[in-house]
Amino acid sequence: MRCDVVIIGGGLAGLTAALELQRAGRRCVVVAGGMSLHETPRAAFIAAGGVFLRGDFVKRGEWKGSRLLRVWTRNLGSEPIEAKDFILATGRFFSKGLASTMDEIYEPIFGCDVRYDKDRSAWVNTDFFGPQPFEEFGVETDGCGHAMIHGVAAENLYAAGEILCDRKDIEQSALAVCRNII
Amino acid sequence: MQEHNISENNFEQCLKCTICNSVCPMMAANPSYPGPKQAGPDGERYRIKDPRFFDLTLKYCLNCKRCEVACPSGVKVGDIIQIARLKYARQNHPLRDMALASTDLAGTLACKAAPGINGLVNSKPVRNILNAVGIDQRRAIPEYASETFVQWYEAHREEQAAYDRQLNYFHGCYANYNCPQLAKDLVAVMNACGYGVKLLEGERCCGVALISNGFGKQARKQARANIAAFDASEGPILTTSSTCTFTIRDEYSQVLGLDMHGNSERIEMAVKWLYSAVDQGTVKLAFKDGFKARMAYHTACHMSKLGWAVYSIGLLRMIPGLDLVVLDQECCGMAGTFGFKKENYNLSQKIGSKLFGSISTVAPDAVVTDCETCKWQIEQGTGLETLNPISVLARAIDVEKTKKLNNA
Repeated sequence: MRCDVVIIGGGLAGLTAALELQRAGRRCVVVAGGMSLHETPRAAFIAAGGVFLRGDFVKRGEWKGSRLLRVWTRNLGSEPIEAKDFILATGRFFSKGLASTMDEIYEPIFGCDVRYDKDRSAWVNTDFFGPQPFEEFGVETDGCGHAMIHGVAAENLYAAGEILCDRKDIEQSALAVCRNII
Repeated sequence: MQEHNISENNFEQCLKCTICNSVCPMMAANPSYPGPKQAGPDGERYRIKDPRFFDLTLKYCLNCKRCEVACPSGVKVGDIIQIARLKYARQNHPLRDMALASTDLAGTLACKAAPGINGLVNSKPVRNILNAVGIDQRRAIPEYASETFVQWYEAHREEQAAYDRQLNYFHGCYANYNCPQLAKDLVAVMNACGYGVKLLEGERCCGVALISNGFGKQARKQARANIAAFDASEGPILTTSSTCTFTIRDEYSQVLGLDMHGNSERIEMAVKWLYSAVDQGTVKLAFKDGFKARMAYHTACHMSKLGWAVYSIGLLRMIPGLDLVVLDQECCGMAGTFGFKKENYNLSQKIGSKLFGSISTVAPDAVVTDCETCKWQIEQGTGLETLNPISVLARAIDVEKTKKLNNA
């Protein structure tokens, strides 16, 4: 299957980007495996001709240098989805955009660079209701929203929404990525 | 999921987010159903300790699997409920339920008596009797064909075998007994693409109705016969029913606990196979100039669970004269044999009403869906003709031009 943009994640960030791009004439596929609660933008995206793969997860991708060529999902099996651009909007720990072990925080699909404190004891504030340092952890991007992998900006993989470090605005980060793609 | 899980259905992964409850069609229509979270992972904790915690309201679960599609944690909520029902439930209407679930027997008998039987079962005295045994008198009984697909195929076996390239076809009960036209459409489309169609030796009903009616032993027997039939064949096994496909691929191993002998990957919807073949350029389709229609596509719940609606929609969008509107995914409320039962009829219609409403807003010439029981429900609820995507393709393709393109 081929399209212009694959958006990984069907939450607020993913759907904001998908709707914006689909309306701008890009053929979009949303792979929505995590939490997807926003019915109105989803219905608008489908009505605009977008493809919404509900309950599907991206398993892996194929790269040529720093360019992502295609991704494989659980439900589509051996059939990959090819696209010019990809947006990673898989959310945080609950939606499995970020995963952690006892001493490491990582991005499970592509191994994007995640900014977090290497000192494990600094992850949490013992004051339960206080600000939590781990909430600032997340995927690192360059100035144009490209995801960083091993210190190099991916050419056509962007990150948007809650997955980002420093708690950026969900919708604004998604729209900023769209401006770079269009 | 995690290496320390002890269950096979990930119930330890449930974080109590309740998104499953928010997508459950039964919970929205029936306040006495506790919902997938409580019926599934929450209740399972208690049932493991003491089977007396089994709750009879679990019979309301439609097994639509919308809960599993929505779950961000990979909990097989629907499987947990199905397994609990097979293990603990006692039937209240064993005779009626067995009659509804015995699709092969009913089909064989009804087809012998067709077409006369179609009028007879819908006559008032027979409906009164059916109503008394628990099949609702308002539900239209599906028609049976006087010639089954298998009988038709026997007369065409040699001409199908003449093709160099062959594909297996698991037709299922509906295409065999109720709508042989669908199976003939599949044969016509595949022939135009240069492929002959082969049937499996000893195919039986997939058993979905046996599973949902609590007949685990009989379901396993049928499943084993089908797995043996898969073992005896080679290459992809195409299907035209999303429910048969999902039952074979997922429920045989996950609910019935059977070994699929590595055949799960071979079962695929014909739309998936065809879309991929066109995408890769190995098959080309040419369409009639004069074909023109407005249709609404309904994603059946099991098609959504398979994740393959994208292939049906993709193929339909290749048809130049087709104005296709993709409906937001809703449950139609039929759920196989559920909607035939007297005690469920009103619930079934209540669940379906949302879908009927969105269809009438679109005002299509026909509805398209990959599921036969959705078709029955939609036809009864909206009065619109409801087709399988393969039948739409069969009507839209230019057979001669397609044959030429594929050197068939």
